[in-house]
Amino acid sequence: MRRPIRFIATAAALSLALAACGGGSSSDGGDAGAPCPVEALEAADGPVSITFWHAMTRANEEALVRLTNQFNESQSKIEVTLVNQTGYKESLQKFRAGLTSGDLPNIVQIEDTGTQQMIDTQAILPAQSCIDASEYDTSDFIQRVTDYYTVDGDLYPMPFNVSNPILYYDKNGFRAAGLDPEDPPSTLAEVRAAAEKLQGAGYKYGWGLKLDPWYLEQWSAKAGKLYANNDNGRAERATEVVFDNPTGVEIFSWMQSMVADGLAVTNSASGTNSFNNLLGIRSKDVGMTIDSSAALGTIEQVLSSGEGGGVEVGVGPMPGPSGNGGVLVGGAALYMVRKGSSPAQQAASFEFAKWLNSPAIQADWSASTGYVPTRRSAVDEPVLADKWRRSPNFRVAYDQLVTGPNNLATAGPVIGAYQAVRDAVLIAQEKMFTEDLAPARAIAEAKRGADAAMLEYNQRVGG
Amino acid sequence: MATESVAHGITVTEADRRSARRRAVRRRIGNVARYALLTVLAIIVLFPIYITIVNSLLAPSQISARPPVLFPTDPTWGAYSDAWNQGSMSRYLVNSIIVTTLIVVGQIVTATLAAYAFAFLEFPFKRTLFLVFLATLMVPFEVTIITNLTTVVNLGWYNTYAGLAVPFLATGFGAFLLRQAFLGVPGDLRDAAALDGYGHLRFMVRVAVPLARPAMAALAVFSFLGAWNQYLWPLIVTKDARYRTLQIGLRQLRATSIDQVNVTFAGVVIAALPLLILLVIFQKQLVRGLTAGAVKG
Amino acid sequence: MTAVRFWNRRRREAGLGYLMLVPSLLIFSVFVFYPFLRNFYLGFFRTPPFPGLPQRYVGFDQYREILTSPYFSNSMRVTIVFALLTVPTGIILGLFLAMLANQQLRGIGWYRTIFSSTVATSVAVASVIFGTLLNPQVGLLPWLGISTTPSILENPKYALLAVAVTTIWQNLGLSFIVMSSGLQAIPDEIIEASEVDGAGPIQRFLRVTLPLLSPTVFFAVVVGSIVAFQSFGQIDLLTQGGPLQRTNVLTYAIYTALRGEQNEGKAAVLSVALFFVTLLLTIAQMRILERRVHYGD
Repeated sequence: MRRPIRFIATAAALSLALAACGGGSSSDGGDAGAPCPVEALEAADGPVSITFWHAMTRANEEALVRLTNQFNESQSKIEVTLVNQTGYKESLQKFRAGLTSGDLPNIVQIEDTGTQQMIDTQAILPAQSCIDASEYDTSDFIQRVTDYYTVDGDLYPMPFNVSNPILYYDKNGFRAAGLDPEDPPSTLAEVRAAAEKLQGAGYKYGWGLKLDPWYLEQWSAKAGKLYANNDNGRAERATEVVFDNPTGVEIFSWMQSMVADGLAVTNSASGTNSFNNLLGIRSKDVGMTIDSSAALGTIEQVLSSGEGGGVEVGVGPMPGPSGNGGVLVGGAALYMVRKGSSPAQQAASFEFAKWLNSPAIQADWSASTGYVPTRRSAVDEPVLADKWRRSPNFRVAYDQLVTGPNNLATAGPVIGAYQAVRDAVLIAQEKMFTEDLAPARAIAEAKRGADAAMLEYNQRVGG
Repeated sequence: MATESVAHGITVTEADRRSARRRAVRRRIGNVARYALLTVLAIIVLFPIYITIVNSLLAPSQISARPPVLFPTDPTWGAYSDAWNQGSMSRYLVNSIIVTTLIVVGQIVTATLAAYAFAFLEFPFKRTLFLVFLATLMVPFEVTIITNLTTVVNLGWYNTYAGLAVPFLATGFGAFLLRQAFLGVPGDLRDAAALDGYGHLRFMVRVAVPLARPAMAALAVFSFLGAWNQYLWPLIVTKDARYRTLQIGLRQLRATSIDQVNVTFAGVVIAALPLLILLVIFQKQLVRGLTAGAVKG
Repeated sequence: MTAVRFWNRRRREAGLGYLMLVPSLLIFSVFVFYPFLRNFYLGFFRTPPFPGLPQRYVGFDQYREILTSPYFSNSMRVTIVFALLTVPTGIILGLFLAMLANQQLRGIGWYRTIFSSTVATSVAVASVIFGTLLNPQVGLLPWLGISTTPSILENPKYALLAVAVTTIWQNLGLSFIVMSSGLQAIPDEIIEASEVDGAGPIQRFLRVTLPLLSPTVFFAVVVGSIVAFQSFGQIDLLTQGGPLQRTNVLTYAIYTALRGEQNEGKAAVLSVALFFVTLLLTIAQMRILERRVHYGD
């Protein structure tokens, strides 16, 4: 054994030279306020090809493919090629890898949480600069949506697929438990009361609690409370979270007591168990749960496919703590990529993003997928109006997005270290559920972990 | 002791016959117990595989039935076609075969060349260089992924077969294994070949390699299993179905069919089947390959 | 033969030798040594979350911060516990099955095939099977009457154990094959001789079989530990390092730092740690265990 070790020193000499020359880093960070070359498309000779990385699957992908074909056929200036990255995480990862390798799309669909990170890549073209350059009118957009993606006054991506969390339950279960299937609970106390009744009617758990730290963000907004400092990170880069307020304690305490009293069952928000709160409704283990409205169509289909059937899916606005607020925007948005894109391609990306946001297309998109349309006038389009008349469940997410005040709390937090902050929240919650950590101490621990993560990220980004 | 046993041999008493009978009965009971134990253990080992196959044959309506279906009363192959087509398992299988073949062939070639040099040639720093080869065994691949990823991206090999295979085209273990085998080639043969005018390359191809065939087969099996079962590296250097290997494909398939256990399990069967077939055919080489390291330190 | 011709031949031979080593050495330099050494260098820099931004030299600060953090000590502990859960159990089970199947019984070949069958599974295959079976909604747990809150893979008490069981099952075939071939290498006469000596089965195992098998067991311990320290796929597929980081083994922490946090500096420090831990463990095992190994002639 001694010899190989000595040898490693020899090998060190051998490849140290390599190490020395491979370490350099180039800094080609660009200017964030890059102008939008809107006129470049007109000037282009032939048709402009752009690549669009998306993360849609199943029915949502089918709809996107159909719409993209429709766009390609409707004009001859722009040819859009879709590349499926299969998931939001994958998209962001591939995008980051592409910043090194140069393998970048011209337009990319990135999850709601990615705003600050995409800004930090310094590789994107802010939508605002194109909006200003072409005097594009955004007044018809749902304000909550544009607010969510606006940082320090600038709209960064173009909105596209909007969702938010809604309540899922089995109407038949509600009937059996003597609850009104048309009037689901809307506050945390009502959820608890309903869960008790459902359990009395034979459900193993009244509530399926998916351990998604998203809900702390959502519930803070619903209560009208800020989540991070510096105006939720919108005036300046956020440096700490501020969710350790009475509302935060109320939320943690409620979760803790629901689980401790056997009224709620937890499931992980990642991996194979991430749909167990919904599958639990199918198998009648779980009476109610909160989940994203994004896959409502798929969820309805899966939930009513159980052995023996007997599930009638009910949908309601997200219950939550009381306060003067509203739900946050979820889903994903379209970033136009500056790095590696020609001016004509940048202009073409903006054209395509605008087209996807036109009222008729948003109505079609929303009717086919269940996403909330990005603008109000889409609601009047026959295709969506019909769909909502036939399936009122699909209207719920829209309705709750246009209710409540639009302020800094309901605009939502912008945090670079989003994932690490969520990890810190998750760990604190897990400790609360499995190690009897008191709610107030759990939330303090979540804040400690989140602040440390934000500090680390901000240092790395040079802020 | 000796006299007693002789006496036993001569006088067979009634008591002896009885004890012989008792021994036979005991042996039979022992055998029954052995079979029972073996069978119970076999069932435990096989159960996960069995349930996988059963689930892969279920009709969509039978998935997550309660109690679960433990016997495919009415097997359907729909899940297999879903996994094979929409689930891209066919593509993943091809990718795995290509990447594994590249790695196995590459490792055998580079290891043969290196082992030959170490076994038959004299040159300065031979010992040091041999230790360089052995030192590679001390560096777990996981430790090198950070820079390897950058290197592969910079070479333009991200999401290509080259990116998947090239980092594994050499093997310190294989060179060591084949060197041992080459050292076993009798010196007389080398001398005789030299008299026949064989150069080194001809001697290597015509004499040394054929004689080292068992070690070669062992190395082939070893690299095959290593390459086929790779997980971390394909996960980080591929980005889409065009180059994803079976193992990573399975991860993808599961992620997209969480509520369709039958499709997931059909994918599992598709991923495991090629290996199972090869193992049945090459059982002897497999055992030798897997135990190659254990035999002589 | 003149001196000049001799030297020419020597030079030619040396040239050929180096030429034969070049392919391997090239791969090793680029994909083993260079990335390995670059880890030490990367550890001195705070990496920006996105390429293109400036990276900052921080000297040993990053090493100190990470290596003294509870995150790292937890990861270290999990890695060691995981190895302790999987390696000895795997070897003991493999040995037990091998002894059981190493008897003259009719149909024993079938049992041997079954016991070695899991060799055809990969980490991904095994993890997808167990992950699905352990899912409280689509798996078999409710049917088996097992219900924990939270469910097994999300339960800080059981998650690592479940990952370990999956791993043990997946490696059982390999362990069985290695132990069987070790057992078969023991000459029958030695066992028979000890039977004549009147040694009971347990004594016989401890005094005769085990010492003769010790090279095989030694090999299995050393290689098994290295493999255990590199486990990744089962964590990625079953628990993603959770719950409460109770399954966050070092390799998974490296992966998270690299892909999740895009933090090469942190990943590099963790890689350096993984290297030294593996190295120390191997040396320790060599020192402590090899003395007890009985190499027969």
